[in-house]
Amino acid sequence: MGVILDIRNVTVRFGGVVALDNVSFQVNKGEFLCLIGPNGAGKTTMMRAVTGVVKPQSAQVLLAGRDISSLPIHKRARLGLALTHQIVRPFRSMTVLDNVALTAGHRLIGRIFRSMVSLDRSTERRQARKYLRLVGIEDVSQKSVVGQPLGVTKRLEVARALALEPKVLLLDEPLAGLNSVEAARLADTVADINREGLTTVVMIEHNLGEVMRVSQRLVVLDNGRKIADGSPADVMRNRTVRAAYVGKEYQNAAA
Amino acid sequence: MLYLELLIQGLIHGSMYAVIAVGLTLVYGLLRILHVAHAGLFTLGGYLGLLITNATGSLALGMLASAVIVGVAGMLMYRLCYQPILDRPPYVALIASIGLFVAMEEIFRLVFGPYGLTYKNPPLQSQISFLGIQLRAAELGMVIAAVVLLGALSYLSQNTRTGIAWRATVDDPEIAKSFGIDTIKVRYLNFFIGSGLAAVAGIFVSLLSNLVEPTMGGVPAYKALAIIVLGGLGNVKGTLIASLLLGVIEAFGTIYIGSILDRDAIAFAFLILVLMIRPQGLFTGR
Amino acid sequence: MGIYEISLATVVGINIILALGLNMITGFCGQISLGHAAFYGVGAYTCALLAKAGTPLPLAIAAGMISAGAVGLVVGLASLRVRHDFLAITTMGVGFLFLGIVRQQEILGGELGISGIPSSGMSKIAYLVLVFFLVALFTAFSLWIKRSWMGFAFDAVADDEDTARVMSVDVGAYKLVAFAMGTAMAGVAGGLYTYFARFLMPDDFGFIASISVLSMVAVGGIGSVFGVIVATIILTLMPEFFRFISDYKLLVYGTLLFAVMRFAPEGLAGLARSLIDRIRPEVSAEKEVA
Repeated sequence: MGVILDIRNVTVRFGGVVALDNVSFQVNKGEFLCLIGPNGAGKTTMMRAVTGVVKPQSAQVLLAGRDISSLPIHKRARLGLALTHQIVRPFRSMTVLDNVALTAGHRLIGRIFRSMVSLDRSTERRQARKYLRLVGIEDVSQKSVVGQPLGVTKRLEVARALALEPKVLLLDEPLAGLNSVEAARLADTVADINREGLTTVVMIEHNLGEVMRVSQRLVVLDNGRKIADGSPADVMRNRTVRAAYVGKEYQNAAA
Repeated sequence: MLYLELLIQGLIHGSMYAVIAVGLTLVYGLLRILHVAHAGLFTLGGYLGLLITNATGSLALGMLASAVIVGVAGMLMYRLCYQPILDRPPYVALIASIGLFVAMEEIFRLVFGPYGLTYKNPPLQSQISFLGIQLRAAELGMVIAAVVLLGALSYLSQNTRTGIAWRATVDDPEIAKSFGIDTIKVRYLNFFIGSGLAAVAGIFVSLLSNLVEPTMGGVPAYKALAIIVLGGLGNVKGTLIASLLLGVIEAFGTIYIGSILDRDAIAFAFLILVLMIRPQGLFTGR
Repeated sequence: MGIYEISLATVVGINIILALGLNMITGFCGQISLGHAAFYGVGAYTCALLAKAGTPLPLAIAAGMISAGAVGLVVGLASLRVRHDFLAITTMGVGFLFLGIVRQQEILGGELGISGIPSSGMSKIAYLVLVFFLVALFTAFSLWIKRSWMGFAFDAVADDEDTARVMSVDVGAYKLVAFAMGTAMAGVAGGLYTYFARFLMPDDFGFIASISVLSMVAVGGIGSVFGVIVATIILTLMPEFFRFISDYKLLVYGTLLFAVMRFAPEGLAGLARSLIDRIRPEVSAEKEVA
């Protein structure tokens, strides 16, 4: 089991605020790792730094041994780093199917000349259907994205990212806004995808119930620093971790 | 001596640009719309100011009445033209505004004639000596008006409830709303003030050349757009500085590179140059 | 067909090519360009200078196309650096810059423009056929691009470029390609105009011209190839058919632009689509109506 994503010394500053302070951790191939921590801990910022959406003050990110730290966002995606957004961002001008077909065609889109001369979308549409079936929303393939409920669009985000055939799938709060039934189902779907060896998964989540159920390893951030890294049981027993969560609850209650 | 004169001329033009551009950046800061039709209101202000002054003999009345009427026209423009399309992609509002501007220019041409109108008794034409340079009262008046109006705007925005509400809305409309601020009223106020300022600018410009003509809004409009980008879209102070800077650069530029570029292109050459070096403009937003 | 009708048809054809070019930039790829007429001008002036120097027509027009595309590439590269809200103003600036430079240079004819451009050597009808051949070519090209994977990528870029990037689309490269193709088409239109008018004035390529082309694209329905063609035909012919309108031409343009954006932002194509939807609601949600 090799290290597929090696994140080293990530520091991100916004103005005067230190969002991430020298955070490092590794993700093993095939793992299901969850990134957790109280609000404002820097989890989303970490994901943005890894994908390149945010430019860190310092960082080294290696994907399958290759240093992607200075590569532009789209190149990182092409090398196998897929991201889903916390607030879903489907392409509203396309159907559900085409949203996924677009990424399924990532090899065609990757070469400008190829994209210019390629007309046929049927292969990619077939593949897209597969992914939609995997996440359970094949029945709305032909519908426009506009007007779809969150339960559908959250799954669409996952299907679209999967179509990139990524080495690592980064999920930013995929369960946020879903009711308990939908959340459990989506968590199971992602766990199945990971178990079947399709991709390594790194998931940010607040829904600790689901996190404990599906993840194999946890990394905990608080105030921009890593405070724990290990199996779910071990991490949850960790005093610093409990303090971080409880502390925030007290602060929120007092406010 | 030449340098001083160029500098002063530049600052005079710059203050005119500032009065126009501030209205534009106010609208952008609030609504993210490039309100090109602002230039049409500028021209309207010039026409109304001239007509009322000619009719009543009083420039003060002409200016005041014109500013108020154009302010209201601006509010109407927001309500009828922009508000219904705020949720569309940004190019819709931009193209609609351009269409509005072109239509306004044409209406002025058809109603008032293509050659423009002049003042019966052009006010503020006397020569004043300032630092050894001959200026016309209108030019000095322009600068004074700019300082007074923009200064008042700045003061009011920091020291009155309305002003603070306005700034809060520009910063973050959602949070402002949750504080109970009526963001719709703020928008109306925005358009009223910005349009009123445009009218004043239009009047001063017409005083300088004793002419109001349909296309007078064109060039200031385009330059104002360049200015608000330079100044940081939505940043009033930045716009002010960028306006003065541009005025001065134009004044010097026309002399020194006038053989390569004509005056109006200098603004855009400067803009493009700056954007290449600093893609976010001279100052960032806000 | 009298000489007048032939000339009119030729102008319509040239405008269509110009509008299809802008449609590629603004419609397919979502980049607002307010300076398209500048590339029209680059193509026209290049072709004019070469034509006067004796270059044969096909080469002169090709040179117009290449020079316009090259300048378009440079502008495209520059525009990648700026935030996309700035793009509209930057392209507007490019338009004014072009005009500003051309007006001051004697070699380019300065304020008075270039005159005495040699004839194309073809009869008016033959020239019209050439223009329409190119119209057909570029229409087919536009339709092809739209249906290709490049068009698919353009859709994503126009829809949400940040997400497109995360989905592995090289947004910058696609924008550049759109710019280069669209401006090259403007260059062809410019070359064709040069031989048609045989006299160029800087004002022909100013902001008003850019707005006119933009209105053809907007009224047609940004992105819709057939919509843009229809709108171009209507907007070009309108002042001719309604002679009394020609004094009001700009007023009509402006009002139309405003009205379409205010009441029917998807243009003629959008109106056609909703009409079809109402008549045949079972037509699938295929977003590929040209």
